[in-house]
Amino acid sequence: MIRTFLLVLFAATALASGAGAQSAATSSYGKAERRDPIFLRFNQMADRYWVNTETMAASHKVVAVPMPRQCAFLYADSYSKGQMSESEVQEVALSNCNRRLAELGPLGENYNVNCQCKVVISDGTYVVPRDTLPDDSYGPASIFYRDGSGNIARLNGVARYGALIGRDRSVTFTVENVRAEQVCDGTFTNEGPNNGKFSLSCFGGKFSGNGTYERKMGAPNDHIIARGQTSRGLPVVLAIGLPAQLAANTYGGI
Amino acid sequence: MRRALLLLGLAALLPATAFGQSAGEVERCFQNPAGCSAGGGAAPAHVPAPGTGGAPVAAARPAPPDYTTVLQSPEADRKRLQESLRTLDKYNGPIDGDMQSEATVKAIGDWQKGRGTPVVGKLTPAEAQQLNAEASKAPIRRIEPSTQAAAPPPTSNADTLKALRDRLAERRKAAEPQAEAAAQLLIRDLKAYVAAEGKGIAGEQFTTFAKWYADNKAAGRSVGEIAPAIDDYGDAKSGAAATAEIRLETKQGVETYRQCLVFAWIEGTPRKNTQAFSCDDVAAVEKWKTDQALKSAWR
Repeated sequence: MIRTFLLVLFAATALASGAGAQSAATSSYGKAERRDPIFLRFNQMADRYWVNTETMAASHKVVAVPMPRQCAFLYADSYSKGQMSESEVQEVALSNCNRRLAELGPLGENYNVNCQCKVVISDGTYVVPRDTLPDDSYGPASIFYRDGSGNIARLNGVARYGALIGRDRSVTFTVENVRAEQVCDGTFTNEGPNNGKFSLSCFGGKFSGNGTYERKMGAPNDHIIARGQTSRGLPVVLAIGLPAQLAANTYGGI
Repeated sequence: MRRALLLLGLAALLPATAFGQSAGEVERCFQNPAGCSAGGGAAPAHVPAPGTGGAPVAAARPAPPDYTTVLQSPEADRKRLQESLRTLDKYNGPIDGDMQSEATVKAIGDWQKGRGTPVVGKLTPAEAQQLNAEASKAPIRRIEPSTQAAAPPPTSNADTLKALRDRLAERRKAAEPQAEAAAQLLIRDLKAYVAAEGKGIAGEQFTTFAKWYADNKAAGRSVGEIAPAIDDYGDAKSGAAATAEIRLETKQGVETYRQCLVFAWIEGTPRKNTQAFSCDDVAAVEKWKTDQALKSAWR
């Protein structure tokens, strides 16, 4: 009797664990949701994907971003027109993403990984594992600093920050150098939807500054530009969202 | 006693003040934060032990300029500096990364003289960045042969070949993401065509592939693995051109057959000038590339 009971118990346990594994396997990619980090990060895309009646009703909807996750500072979303197949829409998204990356210029001074566009959402389903997707906002970052002798330091790396700048009162960020070593951290505190104050602290507080920031939308790419002064009153600029060369050409002449 | 306390106080303040915040120091700390962790800055100043009578003012002495970082920087960075000097018309020697060659030292000196800074012939990391930034903003100019200074010193064949290989490798690396993406899209379309049992854009675009599929289907073979290898990629007269060698596996019972086709196309939606060849037909593939005026970034 006891043996039979144990066998039944064992079989039930095995069945339950099997079902669990299957469910875990299918949920690893899963359905895209409006509140997923990728849509919180790119809210204009979220509007097209979930709200705009012209685009949300498209029969095929595709999102491509550069991967791995720290590269995902831009996106391309594509919606079918006419009789376009899903693969054609994927092709358009991928090609637009690659074109945008190419237009912004090389990323080698910011990243030590090879950023490549990938289709991540196709027809409402994630086509890459969820755990590989960005869970926060990332972007190439450059810090420009002019010392007392007029020499300019140009520091390039990657910034990571909370996705809800402009909605949360305060968002913390970190900056890593090209070797992915964390060198700076700081805070953005919003005063309006697209501006506010920032503070920056690097090398354990040995180099710090604060000032104001502004979110700039549109060409060449959505980015944050923060301008301020170090603790010694020297000018410092932080740009997030533009590759090193573009950032230097735009904001490097502080 | 009061003097000892004063010195103790000054010493306690030193960790915060030893970091001079020069652009060079900030750059070094950014590149190597571990070197700037506890205590001083990137180039920590000497901190005398309290009560030993050592002069704390020594900590305020500026660190000597750092010329070794640039000299020991990766070859690609050194070559870039020589390219920058050349862009600014200061240098006409070989791009070999030798920052201590006579021509390079003279060029750096000329550049420093032009900026009104001490003529050293060597660069600090901050100067190196400024040099590159200055060059990146310089308008592209054509140097007339008659205005060129001395002819560059002759380089050995081995050096020339190595430089050429380096350039090709760089060019190919830059093209890899696009080429890889193009090949993956093709594979997806081919698989979709097989999954739909002979329907889809892959067959419409590559009739040779459609025929290959139909023949295999008629022979009762199922399609297995489809794996790509990029054969060539680059700009052509009507867009980016790609050729990919696709290994196709078919199965019939326990038998597995391996076949190979080269797919060629111009990137676009839909793909243009599409054609598929047998992998043995190298001449036809090369002719297609010639017809498209393919300027390879791959080979």
